[in-house]
Amino acid sequence: MKSLDPRVNRLPGFGQGEVQPKAALDQLGTYEVFVQAKEGKPFQHEGIVHASDIELAYILAKETFTRRFTCVSLYVTDTRDVYVSPLSEGQTSAYDLLPAAEVQQGEQEMYEVYHLVKRGKQHVHAGEVSASSPQGAMQVAKQQLGVGKVVYNVWVIRKKAIRYTTDTDKDLWLTLPDKKYRDASDYKAGDKLTAFLEKAKHAV
Amino acid sequence: MYGGGNTFEGIKTDSLSQEDPQKLAEFEARIARGEKIEPGDWMPDMYRKQLIRMIEQHGHSEIIGALPEGTWITRAPGFKRKLSLMAKVQDEVGHAQLLYSAAETLGKSREQMLDDLITGKSKYSNIFNYPAFTWADSCFISWLVDAGAIVNQLANAKGSYGPYCRALERICAEESFHLKYGHHCVIYLASGTDKQRQMFQEALNRWWAPMMHFFGPSDKISAHTEVLMKWKVKMSTNDDQRNQFLDMYVPKIWELGFTIPDPKLKKNTETNKWEYTEPDWEEFKRVINGDGPCNKERLEVRRIAEERGRWVREALKSPSMRYVTPLA
Amino acid sequence: MNQLAIKELLYKIADDQLILGHRNSEWTGFGPMLEEDIAFSSMAQDKVGHSYAIYQILNKLGEQEPDTVAFMRNANQFHNSQLVELPNCEYDFSLIRHFLYDTAEIIRFEMLSQSTYEPIAELSRKIKGELKYHTLHANTWIKKLGNATEESISRLQNSLEKALPYALGLFEESPYEKELTAEGIFEGEASLEKRWRQKVEELLNQTQLQLPDWNSVSPVIGGRLGKHTEHLQPLLDEMSEVFRIDPGAEW
Repeated sequence: MKSLDPRVNRLPGFGQGEVQPKAALDQLGTYEVFVQAKEGKPFQHEGIVHASDIELAYILAKETFTRRFTCVSLYVTDTRDVYVSPLSEGQTSAYDLLPAAEVQQGEQEMYEVYHLVKRGKQHVHAGEVSASSPQGAMQVAKQQLGVGKVVYNVWVIRKKAIRYTTDTDKDLWLTLPDKKYRDASDYKAGDKLTAFLEKAKHAV
Repeated sequence: MYGGGNTFEGIKTDSLSQEDPQKLAEFEARIARGEKIEPGDWMPDMYRKQLIRMIEQHGHSEIIGALPEGTWITRAPGFKRKLSLMAKVQDEVGHAQLLYSAAETLGKSREQMLDDLITGKSKYSNIFNYPAFTWADSCFISWLVDAGAIVNQLANAKGSYGPYCRALERICAEESFHLKYGHHCVIYLASGTDKQRQMFQEALNRWWAPMMHFFGPSDKISAHTEVLMKWKVKMSTNDDQRNQFLDMYVPKIWELGFTIPDPKLKKNTETNKWEYTEPDWEEFKRVINGDGPCNKERLEVRRIAEERGRWVREALKSPSMRYVTPLA
Repeated sequence: MNQLAIKELLYKIADDQLILGHRNSEWTGFGPMLEEDIAFSSMAQDKVGHSYAIYQILNKLGEQEPDTVAFMRNANQFHNSQLVELPNCEYDFSLIRHFLYDTAEIIRFEMLSQSTYEPIAELSRKIKGELKYHTLHANTWIKKLGNATEESISRLQNSLEKALPYALGLFEESPYEKELTAEGIFEGEASLEKRWRQKVEELLNQTQLQLPDWNSVSPVIGGRLGKHTEHLQPLLDEMSEVFRIDPGAEW
């Protein structure tokens, strides 16, 4: 077997009989990715990457999610570190479905809070709260960020469990606007097309 | 890049009768109201299975779809084309990443999906089993296969499953670059030398039949497809998508002075539908079932890639790491 | 300013970036994980983009169009180091090369951002963030795999030993070192190599990889003068296959 792709012909073992099936389920961990598109805009959940640890997740998330559209900051956290409220619908807020929790005494920690304000959209950053447990953070968020609002899902994440972008690393996205070749607007061929059509008309 | 068409067979509607009628009614009412389903919601087993199948096939089509165009990644002529094609093929890999993640929210891991791809248990879009002989073939794919995929993806982006819609929104935004880039390449070939024009005409001759297959055979309207349309899993019929594609792109191909290799192709002004030579569905089936020009190569490449990466993934494993289902 | 010296400097940097960017792009679609596939492709694009920008500077200095320069020269007219033209081999070699090369790349551009030759200084300052990402990526992977399984450590170790002589070839001196330093255009290869060794040692000390005694490694040089391995010409033939069908055509 010979491929039309020279790269494929260079693959070791290509065309030389059966390759063993891949090792079953060598699945890495899951990390949730949050992106800030512009200064002053809230962070938004964008998706996940699979990685072995939070540092690698950060590095892989950067090109997976922010290689194209504007970005000023990014952070990641292990999916297991995101505490999730029940889902609600209609006029019911997810905050109203929280199981009752007693406010516990203990060391206070900071949490990032995310809201799903419309089903089908991304979870968006709503603010941060201080609490002694994730359950407590949900309750504090309900009082501080949830009053008079219908939100369909709430996430809270301990800030200590997040790999943030430091201020000095914000230059990672500096050249993004120059990478025009990734943008549809860089492929204008109208003049060429018009000239071609003109020429074709005269040729007839 | 995915045209659907071959996704909705093989799953029985039997399981539906075993669902809790009240939950089913609430679920259907939510979709009828135009609200999206999120991963934490109750959903019928059949909905979950069909979506996994559909999104997974879409993901496979992206990762395999990176190969025909990848054939030309080291040979793109000139800096601009080189950078564009690198970014374009990269996007296809990125789309696979996004789609697998969306399917994972329904409970199937990415590794399981990749296993099923490699063993041939799960399919991908038929069109990627054809070879890209020249640079012009890669231009055909970038422009017209992506155009076809956009027709399908824009429709699916209005579907009912939140994570899939979000992935598609992102993908469609990126596809607009692909489409413009592809059209740009073809305009340059069309207005170039005789040799360049000929290259594209030959690519068009090779790819037209697979392109017509891309959207799949006419749907048989069954109770099964009706349910899927009601649940907004299937958003439009294969014929409608094919017709929409022909409407948008046949004039653009003709405008460039190329000949589409189907003497029967014309628009019926009364029905507003395109007429064409019926695609050879026997060939379509044969290729889907493994007997196309590149099936073996595509899967072998994927298998070698996974095999070569195995030591990397092995080395990354640690006791503190555990796979969990993505949240959204 | 000494134009010949500047051109020599720009050509070798641009050729390095182009050839390695091209090599790394061969991984697209074949990477060990999807996310890494994407990241590696981005860095390959960055490198090709840098070479394009530098060929444009050269074009303003009277050299031919970037496309002509990149797609029409033969191997003996290229000034890249031999390190970048070697085949990709397995991912361990590609990663080690990425680490060794990009560690030098970021220091080189850092030095150039102080250059008295403003066009290259400006470019160097602009791409600082990109280069930071490249080294962050390389360092994270080498630390990770250099401390993981027996297999990953021995693979990286073998690749390191294979790549090092070529990596030292990156610092092959130009006939114009004195002029470049005197005019404040570039601090010089010797100074770059010194800082590079320090960075490489620093990082490898955090792994289970063994860095051989520098004195035991003899640099493979000649690339800067157009002397190349048997791998470069086939790479160029492949890269320019379509372009050369009709170099006068617009593609």
